[in-house]
Amino acid sequence: MSGAVKRATGLTGLAVATNPHKALGTLYGKILRTLQKMPEHAAYRKHTEAIIKERSEILTTTPAVEEVEKKINCGQIEEVIVQAENELVLSRKMLTWKPWEPLVNQPPPSQWRWPPAQAVQQR
Amino acid sequence: MASETAKRILKEVKPILSLDRFEAKRRVIKLYKAWFRQIPYIIKHFDIEYNEERCQAKLREEFTKYDTIKDIRVIDMLVIKGQMELNEASQKWTTRRGVVKYFDGGGHIDPKPDCFMAKFLSGKD
Amino acid sequence: MASILRQITKTLRTSSNRNVVACNFARFQSTETSSAQAPVETRPTVRKSDPMQRTQLKDFGKYVADCLPKFIQKVQLTAGNELELLIAPEGVLPVLQFLKDHHNCQFENLADIAGMDVPSRPNRFEVIYNILSLRFNSRIRVKTYTDELTPIESCNNIYKAANWYEREIWDMYGVFFANHPDLRRILTDYGFEGHPFRKDFPLSGYVEVRYDDEKKRVVVEPLELAQEFRKFELAAPWEQFPKFRPALASVEEVKTDKKE
Repeated sequence: MSGAVKRATGLTGLAVATNPHKALGTLYGKILRTLQKMPEHAAYRKHTEAIIKERSEILTTTPAVEEVEKKINCGQIEEVIVQAENELVLSRKMLTWKPWEPLVNQPPPSQWRWPPAQAVQQR
Repeated sequence: MASETAKRILKEVKPILSLDRFEAKRRVIKLYKAWFRQIPYIIKHFDIEYNEERCQAKLREEFTKYDTIKDIRVIDMLVIKGQMELNEASQKWTTRRGVVKYFDGGGHIDPKPDCFMAKFLSGKD
Repeated sequence: MASILRQITKTLRTSSNRNVVACNFARFQSTETSSAQAPVETRPTVRKSDPMQRTQLKDFGKYVADCLPKFIQKVQLTAGNELELLIAPEGVLPVLQFLKDHHNCQFENLADIAGMDVPSRPNRFEVIYNILSLRFNSRIRVKTYTDELTPIESCNNIYKAANWYEREIWDMYGVFFANHPDLRRILTDYGFEGHPFRKDFPLSGYVEVRYDDEKKRVVVEPLELAQEFRKFELAAPWEQFPKFRPALASVEEVKTDKKE
């Protein structure tokens, strides 16, 4: 449908994706399923779901690969696939870490004060 | 006195390697055995003038120096540093100085010259 | 809130040039006052402050604090528009993994891991990660704290570049990194004892090393300097710029919605 097939990505070690729609579609599905396991109020889940759903919509409505790249506007389609893979790994790890809980421990009182307190108190 | 001995402040801390003192003791003994078995090879490679018995006695002295330490994390840290030193000695990265430094009387820390002639001869004021 | 933040990060994505972003920005709602209302700075300065960039950074800082409330203790903007996340030491791996892998962050590049020693604090060492996003052309700093005996998780699995940096911090400060593949000394000499960058380690060290011609080898001796160490107090007893006291405050905290 579109013109010539892409010969190379121009990036070392990143081969041209043979079926990017399918690959991205499966990845986004997996990410969304992983996100479903998190609680509703988790901000990470809300933001990530919004991003992934927006990108999936672009993916499903646009059959041409170049158009998809332009609309998502985040580099080549192979890079978008890499980003999705990273997000999948991250979301699976987030299930173990549970970052939506409140702060795990408060810093000690003078920890982040800069400049640090002087040894000699001035009257 | 009960008040003196019970003056330990307890707080929850993150362990370095060992969770209890039995594990820490096992690590210390393993490190000691590893150093002990490495001594003949160290003597041979670095051409140390002391015999094996003297080195073993020095090893024992170095370990018993930290007898009184009870804090598990401090023991872990010392074991880690000892393991690193052992790595350097066995892999032959360190030089003779790095091994001989354990011996005080190895002549590598010279006493400061105090009388005039000693200062004059050594060239230091 | 969520849609505003995403739109703002979209502006980060659509244009790498900050000047282009400035003219598009007026279309989106901002969490700060709009640029038309902010007073224009007319006093001459060496470096012009960019309120656009500051608001973008602040919004991004709020976004990250929103996503990771468990670990982020504080978010601040330091001098020169640099965003800093101050986190608890338990959260090193989650925060760095999030910053590396998340779509809106993509900080793939670890520029530096630095250490800092402030002996007056109970957790005297600070470990500072400087990371860079090539996709969005921005930097962020992640700071944690620890004391002499508490280990920090090594981020070698996340950033391979951390290997030597963590070795350097171990060598210079004595901060132990758990699960590091190869933690050993990197800059000090093989027989060296002590951690040189600690504040209680003197500038000249404790020993001096020389070749002894009699013994035909290198000997280690206690230090002897010809002249004692001179320290010059260059600070004047009076405050230098009393009228600029609030302007010289270099750190600005970003208010995040904290749930108590």
